[in-house]
Amino acid sequence: MSPQQQGNASIVWIDDETADSTRLGGKLGSLAEMTAAGFDVPPAFGVTTDGFERFVEHTGLIATAKEVCGTLDVGDLVAVESAAATMADIIMSGEMPPAVEAEIREGYAELCRRSGEDEVPVAVRSSGVSEDLEGASFAGQYDTYLWIRGADAVLENVRRCWSGLFGAQVLTYRPVDGVPPIVAGEIPGMCVGVQRMVASRTAGVMFTLDPITGDRSKIVIEGCWGLGEGVVKGDVTPDRFKVDKVTLEILERDVSTQTEEYRFDETSGGVEMLPVEKERGSRTCLADEEIVALATLAKRVDRHRGAPQDLEWAVDADGAVHLLQARPETVWSSKKPTSPVAAAGSTKPVDRVLAKFMTAGGSRR
Amino acid sequence: MGAIDASRRFPSPHEVATPAGAEGWERMYPYYALLSDARKGFEEGKLWFFDGMHNPEPIYPFDTIMTENWWVATNQLTTRVWQIPPSLGIDHRIINGYLYISPNEIDDPDVIAKRAEFFTRRAGHYYANWDEIYAGWVTKAEDCIQRLKAIDFRPLPEDEIESNVTEHRGLFSSYDLLTSYGALIENLFEMGSYHFEMLNLGYGAYLTFKEFCQEAFPGITDQTVARMVAGIDILLFRPDDEVRKLARLAVELSLAGLVSSTDDADELLAKVAAAPRGDEWLAALEAAKDPWFWYSTGAGYTHTDRAWIDDLRLPFTAMRGYIEKLEAGEDIDRPLERILDERTRITAEYRELLPGDEDRATFDELVELARTVYPYVENHNFYVEHWHHSLFFNKVRELGDVFVAHGFFADREDVFLLHRNELYGALYDLMIGWAVGTEARGPSYWPPIVDERKAQLKALRRFSPPPALGIPPERITEPLTVMLWGITTETVQEWLGASEAAEGAQLQGVAASPGKAVGRARVVLEPEDLHLVADGDILVCRVTAPSWAPVFSRLGAAVSDVGGIMAHTAIVSREYGLPAVVGTGYATQQIKNGQRIEVDGNTGVVRILDEEVPA
Repeated sequence: MSPQQQGNASIVWIDDETADSTRLGGKLGSLAEMTAAGFDVPPAFGVTTDGFERFVEHTGLIATAKEVCGTLDVGDLVAVESAAATMADIIMSGEMPPAVEAEIREGYAELCRRSGEDEVPVAVRSSGVSEDLEGASFAGQYDTYLWIRGADAVLENVRRCWSGLFGAQVLTYRPVDGVPPIVAGEIPGMCVGVQRMVASRTAGVMFTLDPITGDRSKIVIEGCWGLGEGVVKGDVTPDRFKVDKVTLEILERDVSTQTEEYRFDETSGGVEMLPVEKERGSRTCLADEEIVALATLAKRVDRHRGAPQDLEWAVDADGAVHLLQARPETVWSSKKPTSPVAAAGSTKPVDRVLAKFMTAGGSRR
Repeated sequence: MGAIDASRRFPSPHEVATPAGAEGWERMYPYYALLSDARKGFEEGKLWFFDGMHNPEPIYPFDTIMTENWWVATNQLTTRVWQIPPSLGIDHRIINGYLYISPNEIDDPDVIAKRAEFFTRRAGHYYANWDEIYAGWVTKAEDCIQRLKAIDFRPLPEDEIESNVTEHRGLFSSYDLLTSYGALIENLFEMGSYHFEMLNLGYGAYLTFKEFCQEAFPGITDQTVARMVAGIDILLFRPDDEVRKLARLAVELSLAGLVSSTDDADELLAKVAAAPRGDEWLAALEAAKDPWFWYSTGAGYTHTDRAWIDDLRLPFTAMRGYIEKLEAGEDIDRPLERILDERTRITAEYRELLPGDEDRATFDELVELARTVYPYVENHNFYVEHWHHSLFFNKVRELGDVFVAHGFFADREDVFLLHRNELYGALYDLMIGWAVGTEARGPSYWPPIVDERKAQLKALRRFSPPPALGIPPERITEPLTVMLWGITTETVQEWLGASEAAEGAQLQGVAASPGKAVGRARVVLEPEDLHLVADGDILVCRVTAPSWAPVFSRLGAAVSDVGGIMAHTAIVSREYGLPAVVGTGYATQQIKNGQRIEVDGNTGVVRILDEEVPA
């Protein structure tokens, strides 16, 4: 990356026409694409790779990283943990370039104006340049901080995301061959997204194929009460719905009993796993109309991208559906689906009809 | 799909008790249609299921002609003509007046292989020439109907007709009466043979497409597959379309007020005749009536299913509904364009989802074949069950008039209380009385029997036939049972569960038309109860006929005991965009009038929400 390139602001809005994944990272770049395509994505800006680079230069982070990590033995976990902690301290305490800080503060103020709320709660997430572009391998190794309020807290959590680049998992991450780039002293591009939180009543993920069978004529939705972290982290058994992609009929409903949900806790001032009332927890977390609205959204994204997708979504208290994340599905998309013709071993329709009279109602005894 | 547990069974057909007041009901039916000790082992060892789809009510003795017709007509095709490789015919028994049927399968692989050669050659010929054969079929069917129309029954004259003497015919009125009766019966069997000529092959082609879709898109619903194939120019919707036209014309001619002013059809016709331009409307009505009002209010298998042409109240009631909508500025047209657009869109989207070009080529061929056979599958109903059968039963009524004139019966409708073979005897008795000039035996012999049978049928109507009897096979594989009646291994397992759970608050059927609705249940066991249906009611019935269509515009949803995805209820519900669950087995027994129920046409589940039956 080069600070000399065009449009090198420290923040870029996802609805800015120049927004792309080179400067916003995979996750946020994808949301910029979705926003441009007209999907309902909550407003967000990214602290760009340029912004991060300025911080890196301002604090001399490359030299420090070489010093701390250059000779690191990635097999020595104690040493790795210690290096990660050292890097985190340096990033959390290093001086932020004043111009970068001013842009971030103004960005947050603008987000408050757009949301019509002072100190609007935001989610601060890392959006690595290498992350989603290289498939799913790096996903989940970066951080997410929820329900962050106020510019100071935003700045602090932006640093936290940056320091995630030097987390123990990242330091030991080894590409197929070669040395971890960070240990080699190369710092990958890193963007941090700052997005208005949707105080979701229900949230979750959905796939525009059946993740179990790879059947592309289905959309599978998993949802839980409260914030989607319950589904994403996997610590809540979600309700699961299977929808026909063509007709949007709901084919299967598998409603689980949910006893806890992630939501904002006034007492702690943060997001906590809290109990769900028994009556609500046993009910479906999505009404049929909402399932259809979600499936419609999923189908549109699938069409727009021309490939099966893995989406994160939220339904707010008013029942409005928001798209929080869109990434290509990676498991089945690379495989060739089973061909019904090959499976039946015949191509003449009349022969097939004749065969059906032999086997109606399934296989014979 | 799990097999049926071998230890589970339905009650033996031989153990079904006769309801009080129906004792001796067996005498109404031919010996071969009854259970017998001689065949007890055979009868108890297999599964019998209630064919409420065609005969929801106890069968009148004469009306067994319809069930006996297909006992031969469809089965001969399966067994002798096409030789559907793994199947013999479907057996019949009448139990407490209700028709129970039982598929028969072939297990011997050598026999199956031999039959497959016949099947491939013979059925292949029909598929290869389908359009041409169907065009010829329409000609045959219409010719058969015209010959039926020409059959004329009249009482034997006091004095033989002069021309029979002057023309030296050597044949007289008695012979004409006897041969007319023969022609009538043969005409029914002729149409019956045409009925099944193409039907099972049509269903087979459709099912093949369906199973291809189910393999490519596991979980795709039956109704979605049907939507890809169904046409819009279905004859079954023509009668209702004609009613819409008449409603529109009444509004245009400023006759709407008159048409809506009375429930009495004759009064309505008289009022319109007296009104300015009323003659234009009456001419339009006459033009629509033949053939479109030869439209049965039932499945067309019993004489009690009157056609619109005999009872104009049904089309007129529907017409008043359309007039109200027109006057409220609503659109009453069927959304033909939307249905066609949806069919195109759905087909194209699934096609696109197929993995390879070879799959797409096969899909294209199968969808084309299914669409080729579908007009026959959908339209034969109008020619056979509606037009021909309605006309046929009216001809039998004309014969009833002859018997009334000769003192055999008090009422023309009594003719239906005799089996067709008994009628043949009675007719000869009548001819003897006329020829000899003395009193026939019939006037003293038949009236008490007719009265006894009326009482027996009344008692049998209070009996709720269980959906199945006997011992189920491990799996249901007989193709026609699956295709025509929608009875599968899963259905039988559901019934076994339901018969054991008895009083469940939930019924499982076939999801036949998507959507979900909650409403008051209206249990309709006879077409006469249809007028009790209020706006938003959920129709609960054994089976519906397409001519119930007008009432569908008032419904919130529909539930039936019997039927699969190709059942009339299913087709009409999809057309009207109503949630529907068919084939529940026990809905009319478990759901009471006025109960609030929830119908989920997506999952096939019907929930009874009120525990108590409202007063």
